[in-house]
Parts: sequence; structure tokens; C-alpha cells
Amino acid sequence: MVTNQEAEAASAAAPGAGATVDPMRLASRWRSQAEWACAAAELEAEPAPSELNTLNSSGLFSVVSTDKLSVKYLGSHHHGHDVGVVQADRPAPTRRAVYYFEMSVRNAGHKGQSSIGFTNESFKMRRQPGWESNSCGYHGDDGHLYVGQGKGQAFGPKFTSGDIIGAGINYLSQELFFTKNGAQVGSVPKEIKGPLYPTIAVHSQGEELTVNFGKEPFCFDIEGYIFEEKMRQQSVSDKLNLEPDISHWIVRSYLLHYGYQDTLNAFDMANATDPPTNRQNGHAEPPEMYGLSHRKILRQLIMSGDIDSTFKRLGEWYPQVIKDEKSVICFLLHSQRFIEYIRAEQLEDAVKYGRANLASFLTHKAFEGLLKDSVALLAYEKPAESCIGYLMDSPQCEFVADAVNAAVLSTNPTMKDPESCLYSCLERLLRQLTLCSFERRAFNNDQGDAFLLHKEVQNYERSRRS
Amino acid sequence: MFLSRIVLRDLNSIDSPASMASSKKVVTRDEWERKLRDVKIRKEDMNRLVMNFLVTEGFVDAADKFRIESGTQPEIDLATITDRMEVKRAVQSGNVQEAIEKINDLNPTILDTNPQLYFHLQQQKLIELIRVGKINEALEFAQEELAPRGEENQTFLEEIEKTVALLVFEDVKNCPYGELLDVSQRLKTASEVNAAILTSQSHEKDPKLPSLLKMLKWTQNQLDEKAAYPRINDFTTDALEDPSI
Repeated sequence: MVTNQEAEAASAAAPGAGATVDPMRLASRWRSQAEWACAAAELEAEPAPSELNTLNSSGLFSVVSTDKLSVKYLGSHHHGHDVGVVQADRPAPTRRAVYYFEMSVRNAGHKGQSSIGFTNESFKMRRQPGWESNSCGYHGDDGHLYVGQGKGQAFGPKFTSGDIIGAGINYLSQELFFTKNGAQVGSVPKEIKGPLYPTIAVHSQGEELTVNFGKEPFCFDIEGYIFEEKMRQQSVSDKLNLEPDISHWIVRSYLLHYGYQDTLNAFDMANATDPPTNRQNGHAEPPEMYGLSHRKILRQLIMSGDIDSTFKRLGEWYPQVIKDEKSVICFLLHSQRFIEYIRAEQLEDAVKYGRANLASFLTHKAFEGLLKDSVALLAYEKPAESCIGYLMDSPQCEFVADAVNAAVLSTNPTMKDPESCLYSCLERLLRQLTLCSFERRAFNNDQGDAFLLHKEVQNYERSRRS
Repeated sequence: MFLSRIVLRDLNSIDSPASMASSKKVVTRDEWERKLRDVKIRKEDMNRLVMNFLVTEGFVDAADKFRIESGTQPEIDLATITDRMEVKRAVQSGNVQEAIEKINDLNPTILDTNPQLYFHLQQQKLIELIRVGKINEALEFAQEELAPRGEENQTFLEEIEKTVALLVFEDVKNCPYGELLDVSQRLKTASEVNAAILTSQSHEKDPKLPSLLKMLKWTQNQLDEKAAYPRINDFTTDALEDPSI
């Protein structure tokens, strides 16, 4: 796997027409599922509550089970300062649309005075959530919601043994909401500042609660709730107007950028008979028309594994791309040729080729990762099934094809912006959207969800299948 | 009076551009571009977005070619797109009866569960009869098929009245409801048909891409309140425009 360091070294090491092509900046560089999974996980990593906190709970009045998911009242409820209250081990994560957890009332005990809600770090661990400022609690004995005063407001039904009560934070609407046995009870504006700890409490003899931080399926359809909230948010932005047929234009420029000529022709033909309005409305012909048919052929050659012809054609059409034998493009093409030998099980030829063409790259820090992995394929009887098997899959070919595509685009004498070789119009818009979305969230105390393309596409497919 | 002049002067200084701008965080172009570079986007996800557009909008051939050229799998069976496009084309060329028959072939429940769609198709049929001057047929159709629909629904009744009014005007192109005869009316009905068929196939009726573009617009507008940063104002050039301070 190639690291960022290698990437920087790569762009420094390669002069010539392919100089602006840093393959690590191509969107198809994520050809290894493992590498992508790592990167994606990093983006979303945020610690979340997993169990009850036994260190700070008022051990005098309650006992937490050994699995740290249940609490039982031990005291005898003499007054209002002997509540058996427990917080989660961590505060609720904020970098998402909604946070939610549930508790089930195993035993409502003598008086059914259990409650669920959120408290902050400095909460007095002898009081019911909602009885102190900066806390909120939905209480089972009276069905009231307490938001920081002794007196509660009428909120919902009471709850007792056998009920499953949920509490959630809606970062989009900035509200706290509660559910009972799968149905929404109500919501209040979130006014507590700072990290919110999921909190449950017991206060009469025999009361016992079990909490669920997500390990078990929830009683309430939280996915449905989140989907609805997101749709509501989307309907706000959907009201904005776009330039007519801008989507058509962007799709077209994507096809042009990568050289998907057949698709482009089919698309243009369909639009000729059924023209979107105002298509000729002053949109300049994109610069990506440059070398379109050549780029299409080069892509086809690479995808079919014919690297020898690729070299030949590049020599005929764009010699400057492969002029420097030490360039990134040459390296990628040679390593792909090597992989093709292995795919064809011509191991002797692979070794010969590697010695002749890849050995010289060994001294370059930049290519170390990919080189090592490619050569390692020799060690496996079934290289496609090995942990580096991803090199044999078509995403790797696509990566090389995209690099060659970018290199060819960079030879365009009228090109003004070198970045345009690497990124299509669509990609730049998506990058801007992602960054703006993250920045906006940062201003909102890092609360709420932010745009991630792979999540959007995933969500789309999930909602379609349901 | 002296007091009010002071107050006005103070108000002026509060509203001056300098102090307004200083409350926003400024992000330099370099910083912004550096952050942009860190954004991780996968090509296969972009491919899926494009495929979703081609499939939802009904570009069967393009979707098929894209499948071959990029290796992206279409999310629904391309054959169903062909059927849907045939219906759409029938409506767009004014062959409403053909369209209705094709819809029923595809899925007989679509029109049953979409009374509004069925009404708009019938309305289109009436428009087409009027367009070619088949006055008698038009009247018969309006009386037998459309009038009962008008009785059950006020909105339908209004639409029927508008459409029938076309009969009264000799110069139909310039009458008050002339836009009903426009090809845009056919396109509107065709779009409605497209959406209904997609929905019946449990497919989202709108492609994702336009939503994302709107989301970009909206997010930039929101961020404008808090920061001055390079914006993309023209979605065709994608040029980053420096923050104006």
C-alpha cells in the first residue's frame, strides 16, 4: 500500500509531461478495499458510549451489573439526594445526525421512579436527571419531563416494568426526543451545553434497568427516523434552483474527462432527439475534448491488459508522456505489464520483465509500496486470492488507465489549469461539497452529519432495497 | 436632537463593512486548497452517481455503454428502462392511448394507484384531440370520460374547464390556456409517467446528482454566514473564487 509520503515523493521525482499527474490524487487510487476501509473509518471515528460508568456512579445507592449494562437500586429512598443515577462511559458522539439509546425497565420496584435522559459531566450523581441544571430526564412515575428545575412539565405517558424507553439527540433540529415502546413521545429543544452523557436512574426499592447502547437492535425504528430527518433537511436544499440542464452538462463533462467515448456518443444521441432545454445556452465546449478518441483507445487497451500496445500507441501519439523512463506513468505501465504476465501465469517472463524494467525503480522511495506488492505476487500460487490480490482486479487497471488519461490531458497546449487533468468537473464539485459540509459542521460545534459521497451512495442503495 | 445624532453615528460605525467582515473567519486560498486535497473520494462512487443519473433519466443505451466502459453495474435491469422509455416517448409524441396500454402492460396497478396521473393522461388525450381538430370526438371524450372525474375532484374540474375552453377559441395558440397545447405540457405529463413507473419499481424517481448540486449551493450559502472562503459560483467552470474581504 502506498503512503502519503510516497505520494509526495512521486510528484517530486517525475519531471516532464506527466509531471502534473500525481496518481495518488486520482479518485481511482482507492483500488485496495482494505486501504479505503481504513481511510473511511478514520473519517468517521468517534468514540461512543458502550457501557455504564461504574467509576463515578453513586455506588452507595445503586449497583451496576458485571456486564456494566444494568443497574439496580440499593438505597431506601429517604429523600431527593439518594438517587441511584448512572451515566454512560462516554458522552454521546456529535458527528452524526442523531444519537439514540434505549433502556428497558426490568423491574419498576416499589414506586417506579426510574428515569432516562442526558446530563453533563458535572452532574451531581445523587439527583434525578432533570432536577439539576444542564440535565434533562423523562421520569417514569409521572411521565413528566424535567429540564433543570425541580418541577417537571407534562410530557408523555408514565412507564413501568416491561417498557422500553428511548432517549435521543437530534443534532439537525437541535432537540432531545424520547420514545416509549417504539413510538415517539415528544421532544424538547436541546439546551444543555457541552458533551451530553446518556443517563439512567433508579430511586425506589427493587428498581432495575438495563441499557442498550446499540449492541442489540432497538425497539424504535431509529433508522426510519434518521432517514426522515435527512429527507426533511434535503427538502430544504431541494427548493433551490439550478441552472437548466446543469446535471446533463456535468455528466457529459465527466464522460469526456475520462474518455468514455461510447457512452458519450450514446448520451449525445439520446439528447439530440430529446433535447434538454437551453442546452446551447452559452456553455463553452469543455477542454476535455482533447484527444478523446485516443484516450478511449488507450483506456480500452489497458483494461484488456494489452500494455505493449499501450506503449506503442503512446509512442506514436504522445511520446512526451513516456519520454522520461523514470516517470510515474512509465512505472505504472511497467508494473501493470508485470501483473499481466502473472495473470497469464507466465512467471518466467514476469521475472525477466521485472528485471529489465522494474528493477530500476527499486531505488525510488516513491514507488516502493506498489513495487513491493507487485513483485510479491510471484510468491503466491494463487495470487488473485492473496491479500495483495487487489492488484489483479480491474480497479487496478482502471487506476493505471486513469493515470495515463490524466497524463495525456496534461499534454494539451491550451490547458490552463493542471488540476483539471486529475479532477473532472463533478469531482471538484463533490470535493467542495464535502469540505464545505465539514467546515459548516465545525462551526456548529461539530454537531450533525456531514457529506460523504460513499455514505450517500450507500444510503441510496439501502433505501432502495427496503 | 444632539443625542439622536450621536446614536445615529454609532449605528453607522456598527454597520460598516470592516467590522462586519471581521466577525467572519477568513480562510486563505492555500489553506482551502490544502484541505480540498485531503478530501477522499472514490471513483467507483462517482461512477455510481453517474450511472444512477443515466438510469433514472432513462438513457438506456448510454447506461449500457457506461456499464461496459467503466465496469459499473446498473442498479436496475436495463430492460425495464426500455419499457419505461417507450411509454415516455409515446406521451411525448402525443400517442396517449398507446402510452396507457403500455403502462398497463408493464404494471396494471400503476394507473389504479395513481388517480392524478391517470387524469393527466386523459387530459392530455383530450388536448391531443383538440389539437388535431377532432372536435366531436373531443366533446364526446370530455363528456363521457372526463366529466365524471371532475365531479369527484375540484382540481380536476378546474383542469377540465381550462382544457375544454380551448375548443371555444379559433386561434388556439393565443387563447388564455394556450400553454396546454405547448409541447411542454406533453413533457410535463411524460415526466409524471416516468416518476410513477420508477416508484412502482421501487426506484427513487429522482436522480441523486441534482440534489447534491443543490446541497452544494445551500451549504455554501450556510457557510457564508460564518466564513469567507473560496467559493465555486459557476458549476460549469468550477473555478474557485477567492473570498472578497
